[in-house]
Amino acid sequence: MTPRSNATATYTANPYLPLPARIREVRPENPRVKTFVLEPADAGAEAAFSFEPGQFVMVSVPHQGEAPISISSPPGRGSGLTLTVRRAGRLTGAMHTLGPGDTVGIRGPYGRPFPMAELEGRDLLFVAGGIGLAPLRSALLACLAARERYGALTVLYGCRTPSDICFSRELDGWNAGEGLRCRVTVDRGDAAWQGRVGLVTTLFDEVDLRPERTSALVCGPEVMIRVVLDRLEEMGLAPETIFTTLERHMKCGIGLCGHCHHDGRLVCTDGPVFSKAELASG
Amino acid sequence: MPQDAFILEKDHLVPLLRRLGRDRRLVAPVRNGYGDTLYAPVTDLEEDGLDLEARPQNSLKGFFFPQRERLFSYTVAPDTGGGHRYAFETHLPEERPTVYFGVRSCDLFGVLYCDLVFLKGRRRDAYYQRRRAGAVFATLACHHPFAGCFCNATRTGPSLELGFDLQLFDLGDRFYVETGKPGGAEIVARWPAFFQPAGEPDRQAQFQAALEARGLFERKIHVDLAVGLLAGREPEGVVRRLSERCQDCGGCAFVCPTCTCFTITDQPLDEHHGERVRTWDACTFSGFTRMAGDANPVDGATERVRRRFLHKLRHDVARHGRPSCVGCGRCLGICFGGVDMARFVEMVCSFGNHHATDEDAR
Ligand SMILES: Cc1cc2nc3c(=O)[nH]c(=O)nc-3n(C[C@H](O)[C@H](O)[C@H](O)COP(=O)(O)OP(=O)(O)OC[C@H]3O[C@@H](n4cnc5c(N)ncnc54)[C@H](O)[C@@H]3O)c2cc1C
Ligand code: SF4
Ligand code: SF4
Ligand code: FES
Repeated sequence: MTPRSNATATYTANPYLPLPARIREVRPENPRVKTFVLEPADAGAEAAFSFEPGQFVMVSVPHQGEAPISISSPPGRGSGLTLTVRRAGRLTGAMHTLGPGDTVGIRGPYGRPFPMAELEGRDLLFVAGGIGLAPLRSALLACLAARERYGALTVLYGCRTPSDICFSRELDGWNAGEGLRCRVTVDRGDAAWQGRVGLVTTLFDEVDLRPERTSALVCGPEVMIRVVLDRLEEMGLAPETIFTTLERHMKCGIGLCGHCHHDGRLVCTDGPVFSKAELASG
Repeated sequence: MPQDAFILEKDHLVPLLRRLGRDRRLVAPVRNGYGDTLYAPVTDLEEDGLDLEARPQNSLKGFFFPQRERLFSYTVAPDTGGGHRYAFETHLPEERPTVYFGVRSCDLFGVLYCDLVFLKGRRRDAYYQRRRAGAVFATLACHHPFAGCFCNATRTGPSLELGFDLQLFDLGDRFYVETGKPGGAEIVARWPAFFQPAGEPDRQAQFQAALEARGLFERKIHVDLAVGLLAGREPEGVVRRLSERCQDCGGCAFVCPTCTCFTITDQPLDEHHGERVRTWDACTFSGFTRMAGDANPVDGATERVRRRFLHKLRHDVARHGRPSCVGCGRCLGICFGGVDMARFVEMVCSFGNHHATDEDAR
């Protein structure tokens, strides 16, 4: 499989060497998720670090090793590099204890991004589950920064409970944007929840799409992805126009360690973004 | 007769190795005090019993990709700004020109396969590259394949067409020596006294030895047939049956010359220091693909055998044009569950031949 774009990586002689990055700001998203705004500790490195939506970095946290985390900010200078991290275990737990001024290591960016150029001129449907909104946010903000290049934008976002919602400060804004719709649902509500209850697929009934002009970007838990991908195809989207990201255990991020192997493909270098057509041909 | 064929008298072997070992590291099969033959650095040719008869229990993999290696050391120190600094120091291995002597054909193929992974991919592995630089291979053709070997079926032996610097054939009282890559010709040019040009009778003896060796394999293992069958269908029954017998020990992957999966972990030394270490890993370990929160996208128990065999016989064929099993037979010796490559190939072929359904494999 050939890469869709020349994924930009900061090539060093030693591909395992992390670059120190200072935490500039930490924004709590919900009780288990925080967004970290990073800047390379070495000013020269910032210019060299460019990425595209859908790519990830390997993040080092002192004494904890590394974990793959998607970039949640859009490409381009000024918006900074943000990682939105859910507390899931050792490394992510330790990362949640860090604050402004602390340093983490990053290497990358890695992986095949969403094909943003190929998506130009089309309506885009973003379907996210939980923390899966992080890489889609990068793509959505990239579209908003070049609004004229894309058609109607729709975000469908599902979470288990209201306290799993990420980027809630931004969701209302997205809904108010021109040619931009955003719908949120939760599997289980709580006393304060006024919004919709039900799986993310229930939101499909609320929007009308023009399947032949629409491409979809899907990210979330693997079960959700499976259901959503099938549903999108039923709705008439071509498998070549449906993109999703796969998640696997990753150690090297550069196609060498074998951990992310998935039926003949390496998710770290052949993905993490795949079209539905590519997944079917596995 | 090839111009580049020579005779090395057996009496001259140790003196030649002594010369080779002077300005380079020498690695060769050595029998240790426990009676095990291993590829090992040779420091003293009299003391370290060179053993060119037995099959080395290890492959050469560990010389380029050690079982455990330190990639970095790191420090975590308080910062004047109230946060902490976190910095890495690289530990690349030194380049050590090495002559690997007495290497079996399959094991050289194993190294060439590892090169595909570590040097020819999209990113180069700096650690492997350092160790690999300056390696010269003097291979030894097998005149009698060992039990369980099937390099004839993987076309990686018992002798080689290419890839070696020098290739030796044992002709009883003398070695027939072919030069291949430039490193071999250099050795001959540097120590010409050890090498006599080979004559027609030598060539015939070499031809005869190579031919005989090819006829001495004990088992017929149809790797190509299995590769063809696997391209079309999932060997579910075979996989299920073998998975039940796999004990999750990783032995097969660790002895295999072409299994290169690894993991990377941090080893804290104290509050402010630690090391980032890379170690061999195995896709037969049930936790290999486990992710945070114990989620595992692949079923560890039944997938482990599938992952290993399909990687070697299906995915690597698609990626590199040939399977990544070199027929060394080591996994046959190590697995106490009988979950080895020969068994897998035989099971796939016998079900394929009889057009049987996978259920028959139960
Ligand atoms: C491409 C990609 C992008 C990602 N993007 C994001 C993102 O944007 N945001 C985000 O929050 N997450 C993201 N993730 C997921 C994130 O990488 C994981 O949540 C993270 O690796 C968890 O690491 P941890 O050290 O905190 O958890 P760990 O401590 O490693 O694991 C948690 C639990 O998993 C189990 N476990 C894991 N490995 C083993 C093992 N070897 N042996 C035994 N048990 C084990 C243990 O039960 C452990 O308690 C992404 C993953 C991928 C592949
Ligand atoms: S197949 Fe055999 S050697 Fe390999 S992990 Fe399983 S039990 Fe161990
Ligand atoms: S799979 Fe077995 S026979 Fe094949 S190269 Fe590996 S250890 Fe040798
Ligand atoms: S993470 Fe190592 S091969 Fe993909």
